[in-house]
Amino acid sequence: MRRLDPCGAYAELATASNFSFLRGASHPKDLVLTAIQRGHAGLGLADRNTVAGVVRAWSALKEIRVEGLAPPDRMRDGGSPGEIAFIEDPLNDPALSEEVKRRAADFRLLTGTRLVFNDGTPDVIAYPETRAGWGRLTRLLTLGNRRARKGECEIGLRDLLADPEELMLILVPPNRLTGLEEVLLRMTEAAPGAVWLGAALHRRGDDRRRLARLKAMAERVDVRLLALNDILYATPDDRDLQDVLTCIREGATIETTGRRLEANAERWLKPEDEMARLFKDAPEAVAETTAFLSRATFDLSNLKYEYPEEPVPPEWEPQSWLEELVRRRTLVRYPDGAPPKVATLLNRELEFIAERSLAPYFLTIHDIVRTAENKGILCQGRGSAANSAVCYVLGITSVDPARHDLLFERFLSSNRDEPPDIDVDFEHERREEIIQYVYDRYGRHRAGIAATVIRYRPRSAIREVGKVLGLTEDVTARLASTQWGSWGSEISGRQIEQAGLDAANPMVDRAVRMATRLLDFPRHLSQHVGGFVLTQGRLDETVPIGNAAMPDRTFIEWDKDDIDALGLMKVDVLALGMLTCIRKAFDLMKAHSGVEHDLASVPPEEAEVYDMLCRGQSIGVFQVESRAQINMLPRLKPREFYDLVIQVAIVRPGPIQGDMVHPYLRRRNGVEKVHYPPPGRLYGPPDELKQVLHRTLGVPLFQEQAMKVAMVAARFTDAEANGLRKAMGTFRGDGTLHTYEDRMVGRMIARGYDPDFARRCFEQIKGFGSYGFPESHAASFARLVYVSSWIKHRHPAAFACALLNSQPMGFYAPAQIVREAQEVGGVEVRAIDVSHSDWDNSLEGPEKVPILRLGLRQIDGFKEDWAKALSAARAAAPFADVETLARRAELPAAAMRKLADADAFRSLGQDRRQALWAVRRLPDDDPLPLFAAAEARERGARELGAEPDAHLPLMPLGEHVAADYQTARLSLKAHPMAILRPVFAAERVLTCAETEAKRGGSLVQVAGVVLVRQRPGKGNAVFVTLEDETGITNVVLWARMLDQYRREIMGARLMQIEGLVEKSPEGVVHVVARHVIDRSAELSRLSEDHETNVQLARADIIAHPQPPRHPPHRHPRDVRILPGSRDFH
Amino acid sequence: MSSEPSARPRRYLAVWFPWLPSDRLRRQEQRADAPPEDAPPVVLAEKIKGALRLAAVDPAAARAGLTPGLALADARARSPALRVVAHRPDLDDALLGRVLEDFGRFTPMIALDPPHGLILDVTGCAHLFGGETGLMRTVQARAERAGLKIRCALAATPQVARALARFGPGGRFEPGQDRAAARRLPVAALELSDKEDEALRRLGLKRLGDLDDRPHAPLAARFGADFPTRLARVLGDEDMRITPHRPPAPVVVDRIFFEPISAPEDVERVLSDLLVETMDRLDQTGLGGRAFEAGFYRVDGETRRIVVRTGRPTRDTPATLRLFSERMAALAAPLDPGFGFDQMRMSVPWTQVLAPAQQGLERETPGEEAFSRLVDRLTARLGPEAVLRFEPFASHIPERAARLVPAAVRHGDETWPDLDPDDPPLRPLQMFDPPQPVETLAEVPDGYPLKFRWRRVLHEVTRAEGPERISGEWWRAPNQRTRDYYRVEDRDGRRFWLFRQGLYGETPEPRWFIHGLFA
Repeated sequence: MRRLDPCGAYAELATASNFSFLRGASHPKDLVLTAIQRGHAGLGLADRNTVAGVVRAWSALKEIRVEGLAPPDRMRDGGSPGEIAFIEDPLNDPALSEEVKRRAADFRLLTGTRLVFNDGTPDVIAYPETRAGWGRLTRLLTLGNRRARKGECEIGLRDLLADPEELMLILVPPNRLTGLEEVLLRMTEAAPGAVWLGAALHRRGDDRRRLARLKAMAERVDVRLLALNDILYATPDDRDLQDVLTCIREGATIETTGRRLEANAERWLKPEDEMARLFKDAPEAVAETTAFLSRATFDLSNLKYEYPEEPVPPEWEPQSWLEELVRRRTLVRYPDGAPPKVATLLNRELEFIAERSLAPYFLTIHDIVRTAENKGILCQGRGSAANSAVCYVLGITSVDPARHDLLFERFLSSNRDEPPDIDVDFEHERREEIIQYVYDRYGRHRAGIAATVIRYRPRSAIREVGKVLGLTEDVTARLASTQWGSWGSEISGRQIEQAGLDAANPMVDRAVRMATRLLDFPRHLSQHVGGFVLTQGRLDETVPIGNAAMPDRTFIEWDKDDIDALGLMKVDVLALGMLTCIRKAFDLMKAHSGVEHDLASVPPEEAEVYDMLCRGQSIGVFQVESRAQINMLPRLKPREFYDLVIQVAIVRPGPIQGDMVHPYLRRRNGVEKVHYPPPGRLYGPPDELKQVLHRTLGVPLFQEQAMKVAMVAARFTDAEANGLRKAMGTFRGDGTLHTYEDRMVGRMIARGYDPDFARRCFEQIKGFGSYGFPESHAASFARLVYVSSWIKHRHPAAFACALLNSQPMGFYAPAQIVREAQEVGGVEVRAIDVSHSDWDNSLEGPEKVPILRLGLRQIDGFKEDWAKALSAARAAAPFADVETLARRAELPAAAMRKLADADAFRSLGQDRRQALWAVRRLPDDDPLPLFAAAEARERGARELGAEPDAHLPLMPLGEHVAADYQTARLSLKAHPMAILRPVFAAERVLTCAETEAKRGGSLVQVAGVVLVRQRPGKGNAVFVTLEDETGITNVVLWARMLDQYRREIMGARLMQIEGLVEKSPEGVVHVVARHVIDRSAELSRLSEDHETNVQLARADIIAHPQPPRHPPHRHPRDVRILPGSRDFH
Repeated sequence: MSSEPSARPRRYLAVWFPWLPSDRLRRQEQRADAPPEDAPPVVLAEKIKGALRLAAVDPAAARAGLTPGLALADARARSPALRVVAHRPDLDDALLGRVLEDFGRFTPMIALDPPHGLILDVTGCAHLFGGETGLMRTVQARAERAGLKIRCALAATPQVARALARFGPGGRFEPGQDRAAARRLPVAALELSDKEDEALRRLGLKRLGDLDDRPHAPLAARFGADFPTRLARVLGDEDMRITPHRPPAPVVVDRIFFEPISAPEDVERVLSDLLVETMDRLDQTGLGGRAFEAGFYRVDGETRRIVVRTGRPTRDTPATLRLFSERMAALAAPLDPGFGFDQMRMSVPWTQVLAPAQQGLERETPGEEAFSRLVDRLTARLGPEAVLRFEPFASHIPERAARLVPAAVRHGDETWPDLDPDDPPLRPLQMFDPPQPVETLAEVPDGYPLKFRWRRVLHEVTRAEGPERISGEWWRAPNQRTRDYYRVEDRDGRRFWLFRQGLYGETPEPRWFIHGLFA
């Protein structure tokens, strides 16, 4: 157990956290916690020219005051909202929490910055005395940031002394004291009474002499001497980590960094008696620290927030204007008047908003959404506050409260301290317009983009630590590549061995342990993708603003969590590819078929749309197109909107790892009875749990529900539920969760619940762990799932066309999108052709049954300008032949060759080979102007020049298909497997369709092109999807086979599987692999001349080596016949 | 190169080393035998645009489907047991250069044929090795003995031979046969760019014969005017002679005497003359010599070579001559002229660029130049291991903070600590290696010693400063203890540098040492 140092009268005022990037070696919160444990009276956090870390420290102190424990680390653990892991702080000691809590109550945290000047002046630590001082400090930093490149800050002493009022300044003496006195004099002149001379004794040998000189100097200039330890880490154990950080900063290995490292481990938060002993020649310097503390009155809670006024017209109050807007817009949403249910809900929500003074927030979001609407940009809000009737009426979301009542309780029941949460997704191609609008409307001095703290992730940590510790690049690369997918943030021994390294090797072991400590350290700040902070006053008096890497972009030093903690207003302007796709589909439907729609007007709850989803035909549909989702659809059989909400949320690591999926499916399919045990008769209504869990059939799928169970069944208070939420997330090894278990199960039993049920409830909550997909996000996503499914079902051609035109997005390659349109949507698809195709894919033919014409954008490397020129020239008159096309569209040779390669001249009577022959003859490049005339003559001459027939051999189908894949990554002529079928048929290898038809348990051989390889979750299995001309086959490979077949799995583009067919009751078919064969070599048959002469012996690379044809850096796609599949690594 | 047609039919042997990098690696590791079956595949990787990619592979790796150009991460994912070695094209080239010198035995007309190939003009040479078949067998055998796998082809022009070796089966082709064989080669043998190559194959023109059968004018219109020439060369219709390789001539100056000389003063005079001429030649090329080799050829066929080296490139005749004199005076076996030398040679095996230095108008800058000359002389006389100097080293640990290096070696980037001139010296003039243990009486926890006994003498400390705390270098050994250094002065005014190893409260108990004397 840790010892708590006696409580005393010292405060460290020169503290660098790890936001002094690559210098400080402790997290801000750990510094606060350690200072409290050491019995310090307070702490001054001052990072180098930044205040990026102060909010962390400040909110940690707030939490410690309540809990006696520092907050856990939040680590992103996936790509979607809510996929966050909580890591317990190792410094926490629950046994001491009461004492820590008591001490924290009086603990003072000063937030300032260490000014590092560019003019050779020694460092000055500045703390604001008041709110005005804070504003001066942040403006000073803003000035320095804006002058410099991103990530740097250029300030001189002159800038500080120009306006140092209400700042408290500590001069930190450098190694040599020569010239220090002049600086001190200048400072006292500019800021009389607010200057201190710092003294830090780091056992450099001459400490006493140095202290005496500083003391004498302070007396001469008449400033007070202040004891510092100028710390870089909380405890001396972190010295090695600090050394590694220094090496990373210096770009050198630990062996060669030498004297640039600290000589000893003295720069930690020393206890008070140790400081007193060090400063026994100047005890007044130690006493001065507490005097300093009490003089500074500023606290971050003084940053009072004022909402911007713009969205409120003059003469209106925000609340009344919001009510007025809601009244007006209700008539638009519900022309026949709002249903009584909605009207009641609106009133309750408006009351709630008034109570929490949130009207300006809603008005600001509404303002932005309205702007998007006027510009014709699709948008959709999500988050707890977005699921409100007010938001539906204001057009922020399109989830209708009249239909999905229960969702909307979430907003009204949200915690009073929670800041309102609305993220708005916009079309990704047009989001920049919205960002510029926000800048214009509020001005750059009042609107700023939030920062994102770029942190060390396992790969970057091991790479940099490996470099420092002198591991070879190859070994670090190998360690860095041990991660499968993005899950998990620790490097385990197993993973090291997987990389072929010895985990027990001391070098590797040290590197891994050091990298683990470095994990989550901030590396630098970057701009957030779209989180805006808006203020009424000057933003730079609240937080420093700095330059981003993008020109004309500025961002503030705080990230979203900081902004939340301070209660500043933020608006998330995010980008979503699917919205672009939906917008394009709406436009195509309108232009071609005259059908007009927006997100809200898509007819709800059409049974046929759900039928399609139940068949698992969801390629291209938002959120539910992954293999796992496609397999889940036939099992879950969504029949209504709320089913989609569940569908979106259930295929996530949380429910899967918490084993919620199967109980839910069993209950849904009627295999297991839905049952809500009641409490004892005396204690409450028998259906109290039903109200919480009935939507999810008694299985908690969302985090909110887990909390609700505790609150309803075990009567947890808000605070207790909060504690449970944290304990649940962090798996505190110390038994915090255990106490909640006793409390919850005990109380449930006391309230008359079946003890066994109570225990199972808690187990479920535990299994639920830290992952939770918030229901509110799921609901907004589900709406887009429905809308995209509806378009796919009703307007398949427009859907495929829009999807292709929005690439890259989603999960699948164009080939699969086109195939899905043909097979599921029955769409006729026509090939790229110079006489019909534009840049974008387009619709042609009858209004009712449009035909999809592939566009020139599908040709790899084709430029939009060329396509525009081609379309323009064609609009004047159709082309007669290759040469007139080249001349009239003025296309360069490269463009013409790409068109020929793509077989786009068929309408001019030339197939790929003939066109290539013709196109190759065209002059090579744009001539210089001087030669243009001569060139024109020559072209004319060439036109006349007749050539003998080249008698080119006819291109076989296989070669056409291969060339189609190489140029456009898809072929309408045939599936590659169809051409190879005779080879496989002779070997009794089944098609996908034949495999599907086999009985469960049959042993089959099946082969196909590899579409996707995935290794989800904990990675006990790899899922491979094979495709052939008849359909797809899902293959499961258990992890133990991975070592044996690694090469095949990783390398094969055409894979043959021998395995057992497994069929689920819902008809989902998998093949469980026993053997894997890489048949990629067969693909080369496509482009060989002699199909008839099919031989099974493959070209042996060893017997007949060929010189490498391709420069090493060539993109692999160019040499492959088939594009690579989506990988998991 | 010249493209004049030759008078009589010529014969060329193209030798291709398909696995040169991995063969070179195995040679280096002296495993001439074939690797065991289960040896891990070997790849040679290099960094291209920030990513490690395969530059070359060995046959086992090729069997595993790994090809040059693949990202190392991908390769690793496919075969985790992979052995990765840094790609060293310089070493490959050096090896090929040595093979070239060795194959010079077959014909003087030999040239590099990059990448990884040689081309030999063996016209009229084959009979020495038992005819062309015998020659090829001998070449094969020599390569195998060197641990190199090759594929070679013998044909009438270098281009055909190269194409048949690299893109065909290899072998010996009688005049007239080779054209037919070349027609069967894939169009890749034209070694066009990837795009052109692909275009030809897309057009269905896959073998050289397909091209040969078609009128050349339309091909020239599509693939460039020089396309027919290229085709003609690969088909052997046009010959291009090779430019034989010659090793670059180093600076060599010879004196051949009609009368052998043997008197030391004669030898010295000739040396001096040779040096003057050598320096002239160096001056013309802007080079300076770092090493000079004097060759003494005795009439009886014995040869003696004496080498001197300089610390920096030089063209200074007197200085270099002095180095020779010193070296010769210090020789263990003195230079014995026997019946006299009939030839002397001065060569400069190691040169470096030496820019002419601007002479100062006012005065010569002393110091560096003169010092360096002294070091050269001492080194010449005593040998490089005997003349040493201190070099700062990147460490806080006092005994590691400086190290001795040969004086002639250029020093690194590390600099000496920059001390405040106002402060007393923190390090003693004399340091004990190893530190000597002392018994002390000191204040806990980190006070200076009040008394200490060293070499049986008790010293009473009157003044002291410290501690200077230096922590161990954790990356070198995990349990290095922290040291607290004190500068102390005893009653007699003698100053010592003491340290305590370890901190109070640690186990084992801290110990005291004396590490140096100030005065």
